[in-house]
Amino acid sequence: MESLLEFARGPLFRFSIIIMILGLARLFALDLYSIFRAHQKAGDKSLPWGLIISRSIEWLFPVKRIAHNRPIYSIFSILFHIGLLLVPLFLYAHIQLWEKGIGFSWPALPYSWDYWLTISTIVFAVLLIIGRIFNKSSSFISRKQDFLWPVLLLIPFVTGFVCSHLSVSPSNYQFFMLIHILSGDMIFILMPFTKIAHCVLMPLSQVICTLAWKFPAETDDKICTTLNKKGAPV
Amino acid sequence: MRTNPITPEERGKAFATQRKPEALKKQNLDVRYHIEDFDTNDRPGRFLEAFAAILKHSNYKMALDHFIRMSAKCSRCATTCQVYQATGDPKDIPCYRSELLLSVYRRHFTLGGMLKGRLLGSGYLTDEKIQEMADSFWNCTACRRCVLECPSGIDHGLITHLGRYILSEIGIAPRALVVSTREQLEGKSGNTSAVPVPALIDTLEFLEEDMLEEKNVEIKFPIDVEGADYVFFPAVSDFLMEAETLMGIAAVFKATGDKWTTGTGYFDGINYGLFYSDRILERVVKKLDVETKRLKGKAILIGEFGHASRSAKYFIPTYCGGKDALPVINIMEYTHKVWKEGRLKLDPNIVTQKVAYHDPCNLARQRWIIDQPRELLKAFCKNYVEMTPSGEDNICCGGGGGTVSIDEVRPYRTTVGGKLKADQIRKSGCEILIAPCANCKKQLKELIEDQKLPCELMGLHDLLYRAIIFPDSMKVKKADESESSAEGI
Repeated sequence: MESLLEFARGPLFRFSIIIMILGLARLFALDLYSIFRAHQKAGDKSLPWGLIISRSIEWLFPVKRIAHNRPIYSIFSILFHIGLLLVPLFLYAHIQLWEKGIGFSWPALPYSWDYWLTISTIVFAVLLIIGRIFNKSSSFISRKQDFLWPVLLLIPFVTGFVCSHLSVSPSNYQFFMLIHILSGDMIFILMPFTKIAHCVLMPLSQVICTLAWKFPAETDDKICTTLNKKGAPV
Repeated sequence: MRTNPITPEERGKAFATQRKPEALKKQNLDVRYHIEDFDTNDRPGRFLEAFAAILKHSNYKMALDHFIRMSAKCSRCATTCQVYQATGDPKDIPCYRSELLLSVYRRHFTLGGMLKGRLLGSGYLTDEKIQEMADSFWNCTACRRCVLECPSGIDHGLITHLGRYILSEIGIAPRALVVSTREQLEGKSGNTSAVPVPALIDTLEFLEEDMLEEKNVEIKFPIDVEGADYVFFPAVSDFLMEAETLMGIAAVFKATGDKWTTGTGYFDGINYGLFYSDRILERVVKKLDVETKRLKGKAILIGEFGHASRSAKYFIPTYCGGKDALPVINIMEYTHKVWKEGRLKLDPNIVTQKVAYHDPCNLARQRWIIDQPRELLKAFCKNYVEMTPSGEDNICCGGGGGTVSIDEVRPYRTTVGGKLKADQIRKSGCEILIAPCANCKKQLKELIEDQKLPCELMGLHDLLYRAIIFPDSMKVKKADESESSAEGI
């Protein structure tokens, strides 16, 4: 068990982090390249940067539109995301792991925050799952990954909470810790290949939406040629 | 703002088809709008061929790649969509509608999708899926309100636009739009309503006489004037149905003395290409540019018309010279500017009724024209009321995306598409509803009729025409002359 734990938080952790970073960087770079190409092709190269930046900020710090619709679900989602970002990155124990894995560290949140942040993230994840299942429109459009992701994200939070805040026997502790680290590693590996890629792609959404309406010039002729429709009536 | 789903009886009425069974059978497509006959062989194959050609020559691939990686299916768009609110049918959720096309893209144009599809032998595009898209993409009013509420920034309006474009390439497009566009691009009249030039000139002369009688001012509609500051393109249907809007615009120009003109070579702002085909959009936009350059005009002026303004403003630079393209302005921007400059005087005591302003989606969604018409209205209407939500978040009239021109879907538009708007208008208690867009006007007039709303609809310049003050120097008969002629009688 001990060696398995060492493997999970040593080589496997480093491997999963590399997959996550390279995978997400690849997606981000692909998006940037597409933006560059689209801008080159566009007949009108001007972009309303004021509008793009203001709408991007609105969604990166989503306060303005919370009350517009599904307010409760939206608030739960925001609080869930806050926990999701803070707990893996700023808990003291995690920072030690980061230092061990990647060689450097940063300041941790006060220890007293651990308890409530973890609890709140677990509670909001459960509420989001319930919201997805019981909201008619939400459950209708949801795919398997939309139900499975919150469940998968719950595993490291619950096991982490058990290990840090509950009294368990040493063998049980090791078991929960192994599940905690393995599930964390799995999440890192899956991130670039699923919808969680939005964690790096989101800042580019507004510029992509705006640029997509900037069509290339003279497409009529090119498409007619490709589809063999030259001279065809309207 | 929320509305209740329609009743089963209303649903039956809204979704009833007026098409003949033999047409449905022949075209093998059970949608509500009329379609000209088209090749029904291997539709999936031809759809994919058209999709591939469009992807090759456009910027859509960038957006589709981003959207398939981003979509979190949060369902916030559902509560925003007025169509879904009215039907209560989950298939009308914008995210579901987008997924129809995104799934085709994922399966046929991404490596992972192609491999998965080949391995499992599944997911190939079918006739049934094309049928579902043909229904769904034309249920949407393309108002793009859902875009504002999507945390992932997915532009469902763009996906609907692309879906309609691909469908049109295999012959699936509403006949009403195709026939009008054919007349505009290939017909003798060169405009969507087939108005011949002599009829246009007659109409304008008739309006000039009317204005002289009503205002005692010689107000002209200049025709084919070279070197004018503005070449004017309203919806051509305004010449037939919205005379008061045109009179209001002519009166503003009379008051300011700026040079403007209507060209007889081309005088139609309508661009249905924005609703179903980028190829058509490009061809129509170029007609505006050619006519303005023929007349050596300095700017393109679009009348009270949402989609015409958007297609000219955003696509003249695309197709006609980038940053060197002719400037495009909407008439409300012009009127607001001259009023701010003090060149237009309005009487604040004429309009006493409760007035509300409806934002056309194509003017407000991108925060382009929101405050200008409000400032103008507040300057001469004693009792202006605001509808909520408005501006960038406005509720669509229910006839957006070209659906207003499809007469056979009127029951759908006024029962489903415009239901939330009807509730909003009723709640505002307005007596006069201002809609500065030819499409919104037609839809809202039908909505007022079908939903029995207690208000009158008009354009901004229709109302402004009542309040505009001309200096005595412009009057044909001076005040003392009028008095003496009255005494003579």
